[in-house]
Amino acid sequence: MALTGLGSARRSRRFLAAGVVLVGALTLVALAAPWLTAYDPDAIVVAVYRGPLGPGGAHPLGTDTLGRDVWARLAYGARTSLFVGALAMAISLLIGTAVGLVAGYFGGLVDAALMWVVDLVLTMPSLLLLIVLATILPPSILTIPLVIGIIGWTTFARTVRGEVLTLRERDYVQAARALGAANARIIVRHLLPGVLPGVVVLAALGMSGAIVVDAGLSYLGLGVPLPTPSWGRMVSDSQTYIAVAPWLVFAPGLSIALAVVGFNLIGHGLIDLVERR
Amino acid sequence: MRRLAWLLALGALAAACAVPLDPPPSGAPAGDEPPRSGGVLRLGDAEDPRYLDPARGYDVVSWSFEQMLFNTLVEYDQGTNIVPGLAETWTTSPDGRHLSFRLRHDVVFSTGRPFTAADVKFSLERLLKPSIHSQGAEFFHGLEGATDYIAGAAKEVRGIRVPAPDRVEFDLIGIDPLFLHKLAMPFAAVVDREAVERFGDDDFNAHPVGTGAFVLQEWVYGQRLRLARNPRYFRAGRPYLDAVEATIGVSPQLAWLKYQRGELDVATIPPAEYHRVLADPRYRPLLISRTTLRTNYLGLNCEVAPFDRVAVRQAMNLAINKQRLLELADGQGAIANSILPPDMPGAGPVAGYPHDPEAARLKLGEAGLADGFETTLWAYRDPEALRPAQSIQEDLHLIGVTVNLKPVDFPALIEAVRHPGTVSLFLLGWEADFPDPSNFLTVLLHSRSRDTNNNTFYANPEVDHLLDEAEPLLVDDPRRFRLFHEAEVLVMRDAPWVPLLHPAGSAVRHPRVRDLELHPLRPSRVEGVWLAW
Repeated sequence: MALTGLGSARRSRRFLAAGVVLVGALTLVALAAPWLTAYDPDAIVVAVYRGPLGPGGAHPLGTDTLGRDVWARLAYGARTSLFVGALAMAISLLIGTAVGLVAGYFGGLVDAALMWVVDLVLTMPSLLLLIVLATILPPSILTIPLVIGIIGWTTFARTVRGEVLTLRERDYVQAARALGAANARIIVRHLLPGVLPGVVVLAALGMSGAIVVDAGLSYLGLGVPLPTPSWGRMVSDSQTYIAVAPWLVFAPGLSIALAVVGFNLIGHGLIDLVERR
Repeated sequence: MRRLAWLLALGALAAACAVPLDPPPSGAPAGDEPPRSGGVLRLGDAEDPRYLDPARGYDVVSWSFEQMLFNTLVEYDQGTNIVPGLAETWTTSPDGRHLSFRLRHDVVFSTGRPFTAADVKFSLERLLKPSIHSQGAEFFHGLEGATDYIAGAAKEVRGIRVPAPDRVEFDLIGIDPLFLHKLAMPFAAVVDREAVERFGDDDFNAHPVGTGAFVLQEWVYGQRLRLARNPRYFRAGRPYLDAVEATIGVSPQLAWLKYQRGELDVATIPPAEYHRVLADPRYRPLLISRTTLRTNYLGLNCEVAPFDRVAVRQAMNLAINKQRLLELADGQGAIANSILPPDMPGAGPVAGYPHDPEAARLKLGEAGLADGFETTLWAYRDPEALRPAQSIQEDLHLIGVTVNLKPVDFPALIEAVRHPGTVSLFLLGWEADFPDPSNFLTVLLHSRSRDTNNNTFYANPEVDHLLDEAEPLLVDDPRRFRLFHEAEVLVMRDAPWVPLLHPAGSAVRHPRVRDLELHPLRPSRVEGVWLAW
């Protein structure tokens, strides 16, 4: 993946700000969900089910195909999406950064072996692998982030390794080595801070990637277990109702789009700032 | 920026507005005119029928076409009564072990060759041949000499006798009160021996020849299937239709759209549209609906804790809100309070359980589970099947029982529930093969059915005894239905099932389609269907 900025500094700051606002709003909704709606997202709230209710009145986004409040499911679904995205990204980041640092710093056989593993993971069709893993592992809210994280770390590893290859030739690293610092100390104290800005950019972009993958897996019926609300699941469960009750599909669909756009804006906004450093 | 705002506003508007329901094809839905001959009935199917060979087909689509091509000795009327088919009359010996059929004289195969009793014997022996691997063979294992024939020790089945060209007689090893019903299954349809010998057992599927109202005219695999009127059909004036043409590769969703455009004559209503279609006066006269002999149920594994305790199973029965399940099915069907569907001969009133979460909680307390417990519900992964599953999950949540949903593929579900001790809770349905209580009670709840369809592993010697006693009694013996009813009452008390719904089948017809009815046991017959224009 080639990382490119979006042009002028003013522009990229604007994008960054827009992204922060979007993501901030979504985070706020996720955190404040219990105060934003009076309904339990899993509870069937209509007394008599007569098809999905349209938006308005007590149910600002209507009710779904079981008679549950869509706004409540959307708000609590934000928790699921952000949690899954964040955890998946964190796992990728930890594995990827560690592998990249070690491979880049030691080089030689260690580097070759680790990069061979990276290539191996990259050659596997990731969606297929995701489906297989999500099917084998027991359903739980932790399964999906784990699976996405385990597969998504290669980008981090490659980028960090590339960065380390240049950093390790810098004078201050050479100096630390000459002074007899331990390898672990050099990696943690001298190399890690150097790669962090790039990692932060990747993390923002990785977040949006993870949210999309989670939505895709949920759409295939492999996401977090029912009835926990998740945006991808909401889309897939109501897709046949698109002509009858379009809000059931548009509300979660739009939410996924906003989250992805938000994290992408942050990521691209950060690239310029990092490059201008 | 302004353009973006407009786009967003438009999107929001689109998101808030449902697309209105398109009208059905236009035309007067009914009239006084007499039946009219001619025309082509246009159907749509997602896939080709798996079989047109009656010895092999065992699914709704195969059966719907086999019924057009072939006949059986006896068949059903519009309900569950046996009426003459290829046989004119029949007698059963007092001990119920010998049946004798007198055949019609005016029947010929679509090739012109006259139909005789020898064809009946040939067709049933072909069904029993091990090389055919028919799922229907087991229904005829009770024929005298069938086992020898299957083992290869005999060249023919002794128990099928042909004393005259218009007479066929069956000898059974034991009494089988359901034998007539078995003869009414498409498995027992009479096939043309000459065609089977010419094309071979396997290719007969592509060249089926029978005595039915239609003949196969064209089958372009994956594209279309066309059956034309059989001019030699023995029922005078039938069929009314010139042909039936099925377009293949038409998903239910697509079939619905094509129906609305007037390109198909019959379609099922997509679940998402149910509600609007039922409420729409333009569609009401075109809707055909009928209760089927089906019960959807929540199975409780009697061998797995905590469902090994009666009080817990009764608590489940009290906890489920069946009214809401019926609402989720848009009212298409009836709430099930017992095992047997209401249209089943011999079904009597059973008290059942009311929806009473408070009583359910007390029952759980009785079992020492006042704090609830955690369990896993296995269900088919289709979104439409997961709606009732989530409703049940919510009902049980309200009495403190945490249910984890396990959505799986249908074949996996069927496989899993048969393994002892694997599945504690599952959602399944059962549709009767025969209109007889034994087809539910013995097949699904007798302890000896535990390795096949008794997936709750329910075993009660008292129930077994009642079922065994009822089994050999003839269908017109009043004791038969009484014993079955007693067994059903005991089963409901022991509560291995939570009977949920008896769903109704439904479809919509083009206004030109007349006299199309749904059948409680079988696919609709099109012999009597006619087109007004």
